[in-house]
Amino acid sequence: MRTILKLTAALYDDLVQRLREPHEFAAERVAFLKCRPALSARSLLLLAGGVHHVEDGDYVDDPSAGATIGRSALRKALQTAYTEAVSMVHVHLHEHRGRPSFSRTDRRESALFVPDFWNVQPSLPHGAVVFSFDSAVGQCWIPGGAAPAGVEVAIVGSPMRCTWKVARD
Amino acid sequence: MSEVPCAAPGRWPVTDTLNLERQSFLGKDSEIVLDRTRAALVGLGGGGSHIAQQLAHIGVGSFLPIDPDCMEDTNLNRLVGGTMEDVKLGTPKVDIAERLIKAVNPAAEIIKRQASWTEVTAELRDVDVIFACVDSIACRNELEAFARRFLIPLIDIGMDVHESNDGFSISGQVMLSLSGRPCMRCMGLVTDEALAKEAAKYGAAGGRPQVVWPNGTLASIAVGVFMRLTTPWEMRKATPLLLEYDGDLQTVVPSNKLAYLPAHCKHYDSLHEIGDPFWIPDAVAGRIDIGGWNRSLEER
Repeated sequence: MRTILKLTAALYDDLVQRLREPHEFAAERVAFLKCRPALSARSLLLLAGGVHHVEDGDYVDDPSAGATIGRSALRKALQTAYTEAVSMVHVHLHEHRGRPSFSRTDRRESALFVPDFWNVQPSLPHGAVVFSFDSAVGQCWIPGGAAPAGVEVAIVGSPMRCTWKVARD
Repeated sequence: MSEVPCAAPGRWPVTDTLNLERQSFLGKDSEIVLDRTRAALVGLGGGGSHIAQQLAHIGVGSFLPIDPDCMEDTNLNRLVGGTMEDVKLGTPKVDIAERLIKAVNPAAEIIKRQASWTEVTAELRDVDVIFACVDSIACRNELEAFARRFLIPLIDIGMDVHESNDGFSISGQVMLSLSGRPCMRCMGLVTDEALAKEAAKYGAAGGRPQVVWPNGTLASIAVGVFMRLTTPWEMRKATPLLLEYDGDLQTVVPSNKLAYLPAHCKHYDSLHEIGDPFWIPDAVAGRIDIGGWNRSLEER
């Protein structure tokens, strides 16, 4: 089974614009895509319908990481997941072209906090995705799943952009 | 790529895969993009059959043709690929589409469904684009709502022949419906009045006039819209969301309505209008069936 995150081009453009805004001390920004899941014949679809942004004051000054968010940021994201009944996908941007990859810190921290969303939405899948300027990779934690599944990404607009429709070197 | 013998002596051997060299201007990855694109064709009559044929020539790799009907004698004036033999046999239209596509591209993946699209929604959720080649306003409306729920671009074509005091007039349109952008209601193609009028006439309308050349024109424009969506050959001009066909003047132009449309659709703008209306978490673990799909996810 494939897992595919889909978002509209308008949402993606807004997201990237916000993620690239400078912060007082954080080297990068993070956000959460608010998604509704769906099952198709071959795939689990995560359909993004909005963005939960992390407020400027909710970053922690931590030179050891590009962006560290505090307890209040996570609490607000959990609140959004609970009240809006959505899957949450943590997103950030690596500012380069080509296929990005999670850093070791990304992997360690995602594995710790993404499953926390099951405390408020235990039946929904949640995930983490890192974008580059023209690609993306992700992981999804599926209820009942043994390990996080890989996530492919489709940006729905004109033109369509899909991570599985590029030649791999 | 395997070589097969060439029938004509003295010529280069040909292969059994599509040679898309003449469309290389579409980009270096265009063959891969098109090969990995899955297109649903809802309705395989005069419009859908033309589109199926063109997508096969272009190199689209995966098809989901959907139509419950079989070939009838009244289809022969416009259904591309249909033959008199198909009329005699009552061949399903999806079989004709499959034959047409495979004749051009034997490697294409085809999952055909002789059914209403509402019976195959689990498969329809998987496609990259839906071509709506349907007759009724109600069906257009429902198909667009489905496409928007699952963030699937929808390309709709429609044509009509109107009778007036002076004779007949042919018109039509091609519309690109993208999630977040203006929808058929925003554009006035679907209205409550039109739906009510259509419902009142249900069963009494009889066969509507349809002819091959406007179908072909609209299908070609729809394929052009699709190509701009998947492998755009230039990025300076945005694809008009609504193109209007005047079959009397033989023109296709961007609709005048576009200037007055809102930037964003207000009819499908809620977070809860996307995704499964009723999420069943157990289905993810493959423990139950959903949507009539009788195999677990692991088997899929």
